[in-house]
Amino acid sequence: MPAHRRGFWCVFWRELGWLRRRRLLAGLAVFVPLTLLALLTAIFSAGIATRLPIGVLDLDGSPLSRSLIRMVDAAPDTEVALRVSDLGDGRNAILSGRIHGLLMLPRHIERDVQAGRRPEVVFFYNTQTMTTGNLVLRAVNAAVPAAAAGLRLSLRTAQGQDTDLAQAALSPIPVQVHALFNPTLNYAHFLLAALLPAVLQVVVVTVTAYSVGLDVETPHRLHILHRLGGGLWPALAGKVLPYTFLFLMVLGLSDWVLFGWLGLPLRGNGALLLAGSLLFILAGQLIGMLLALVLRPMASAVSIGTLLMAPAFGFMGVGFPRMGMNGFAQGWGMGLPGTWYLLARIDQTIRGAPAALSLKPLLILAAFVVALSGLIAWRLEAMRARRRRTA
Amino acid sequence: MKAVYRAFLHEFGRIFTVRPAFAVLVVAAAIYAAYYPQPYVNEALRRVPIAVVDSEDTTASRELARRVDATADVAVALLFPDMASAERAVFARDVHGILFIPKDFERSLLHGRGSPVALYADASYFLVYQRISLAVTAVAWTMGVEIETARLIGAGIDPVLAAAASDPLPLTAVPLFNPQSGYATYLLPAAFVLILQQTLLIGVGLLSTLPDRPAAAGAAATVLGKLLAYTALEALVIPAYLVILPALYGLPRLGSLMTILIMALPFVLAVGALGLLLAALFRNALTVQLAMAALGLPLFFLAGFSWPAEAMPQTVQMLSLLIPSTSAIDGLVRIAQMGASLSQVARPLLTLSGLAVLYAAAALALESRRRGTRTGR
Repeated sequence: MPAHRRGFWCVFWRELGWLRRRRLLAGLAVFVPLTLLALLTAIFSAGIATRLPIGVLDLDGSPLSRSLIRMVDAAPDTEVALRVSDLGDGRNAILSGRIHGLLMLPRHIERDVQAGRRPEVVFFYNTQTMTTGNLVLRAVNAAVPAAAAGLRLSLRTAQGQDTDLAQAALSPIPVQVHALFNPTLNYAHFLLAALLPAVLQVVVVTVTAYSVGLDVETPHRLHILHRLGGGLWPALAGKVLPYTFLFLMVLGLSDWVLFGWLGLPLRGNGALLLAGSLLFILAGQLIGMLLALVLRPMASAVSIGTLLMAPAFGFMGVGFPRMGMNGFAQGWGMGLPGTWYLLARIDQTIRGAPAALSLKPLLILAAFVVALSGLIAWRLEAMRARRRRTA
Repeated sequence: MKAVYRAFLHEFGRIFTVRPAFAVLVVAAAIYAAYYPQPYVNEALRRVPIAVVDSEDTTASRELARRVDATADVAVALLFPDMASAERAVFARDVHGILFIPKDFERSLLHGRGSPVALYADASYFLVYQRISLAVTAVAWTMGVEIETARLIGAGIDPVLAAAASDPLPLTAVPLFNPQSGYATYLLPAAFVLILQQTLLIGVGLLSTLPDRPAAAGAAATVLGKLLAYTALEALVIPAYLVILPALYGLPRLGSLMTILIMALPFVLAVGALGLLLAALFRNALTVQLAMAALGLPLFFLAGFSWPAEAMPQTVQMLSLLIPSTSAIDGLVRIAQMGASLSQVARPLLTLSGLAVLYAAAALALESRRRGTRTGR
């Protein structure tokens, strides 16, 4: 190791040495993100939520009501976990968090159906918890019309219609719904794959603000770094690149789990994905570096980095898409590297979009890197000028 | 008692004089209150653009497309003659779905045969997928029922019976607590609880790691006094966050302030004591900040609010109970948004109380040991 020689490699190796010796730095750059990624992966490992508990209030107790209950229970999303005797019990069970919905089958439902009186089946579902609410609704929405279809068939054949013709007339406009890019509606493919980079973005910005802050917090330390690197640019590059590789490895490891273990499809262009990941990490690092150069003490740089990046996931438009946001949120989201990285990432993984469509987000990420480098250069120039004036 | 009061006053004063702690406990909490909800304030995703590939262009097919466009959720943005160009528009994110109406759509309908259509909806964004698929299937269902009823009436069947035969068992779905399925109404009440936890946790961590000339008080009095100081602060912050803020964002609230405060008390104590423990573990203000920075997002999903706890591995579910936000989000959302009574949230209330006792005892033990080693030196 040419420690005596100044230049990029001198700073580069010094940083790797720090990472080996300083447990805090290595822990923050590697252990913390890996732990958080493992935790998130464990949370979403099932990918699909099944057999969510719902309750039933069966006021009829007829063969028809029992067969309806069986169909709802047999749906993969739901499980009939509770029978209640009145609406008050059902309400109590929902408020106690034991069930996500309540299916109410009215009295004389079977008799009324046979008489053509169209009795109403009511499903109360909890939309305060939106994911589970929508899942149990989906199950009941499919099960009840399926049961009704059998009834309609018998109502028609009872009127003397031919069975085949009656069958065809049951649903005049059936919709064959195809879920593009994620046919099983797997949450790991949808949400987990986007959450991992979002968490990493917070880590990249804050850890870079910290590690760069260690070297630039006082003019004296910045001067030492400058001398070691034989110039500011090689010094800063040597300072930052070891982490670029570490973060890339962390991202690669989590992607290996996603694509290898959880079966996320990798339908796009691997080179584009890698280029996007590299630019995304570099952009995050440069944001952290700029914060460290602008804000003193370094703790403020870390705080502001956290304040900006910790809530960033919402602005990237995965859970609630960006087209539905207000102007501020759309604009702010455009200023986050993660927004563009996720666009390219989703395109080049599950969507398998043509490579040309990912060039725009990649170019924007590259523009981030260039613009942030420019701001950093400008800031360093200003600091140098001030030092000269005071000297 | 006097010692507790001294420790309380000392720590309460530090909340406002130790700048980094004030920045997190008060300033950051205020900034998050304005900044965090921004993506969601529009509540609903409306008029998601889709493309229609109409292979026949008849009265019936145009009527179907018109009705889809008339829904609040979906807008027909583009018309294509073939699937290939529609697919390109989906990849480019110009549209998020394709409604394909095949040839003979109208003829099949007129002849009383089933006349299927195909919907391709973008499932790389679940909210988009859900909006499109619900809206289009509902439109097709309604139009189908109308056609079937008309056909039966045309065949000489009594109109009442015809309606019954088309839709004999109507299902009415009643959404509870968030009737408009608003995204802000869904997400923000839970997110606010998490923000409260994260700011308090980091703030306490900073207060206990930054230099301090402690008030003259024993270990127990110090821990108790500190916890009381955090409780006093949060007695102001929590009503602001869980009552005033939701009102400003127009979120419904059913629970009373009193019930909310009763639930919040063990939450604040547990988080405060956990903050003391983390401070003892990390020992350095910067480490506290750095270690906690990226924790918010994972803890939110760990809480089992947005992703059901039932779908998590058993061990993860057990571990999640050690984090105050898990029980606090569950309990506080059910009280404030759904109007649950204290007996209905007994489980999270007891869990939080248990955590408060556990973490406070651990913080006390650490504080006593720290004093023991210091005086022993």
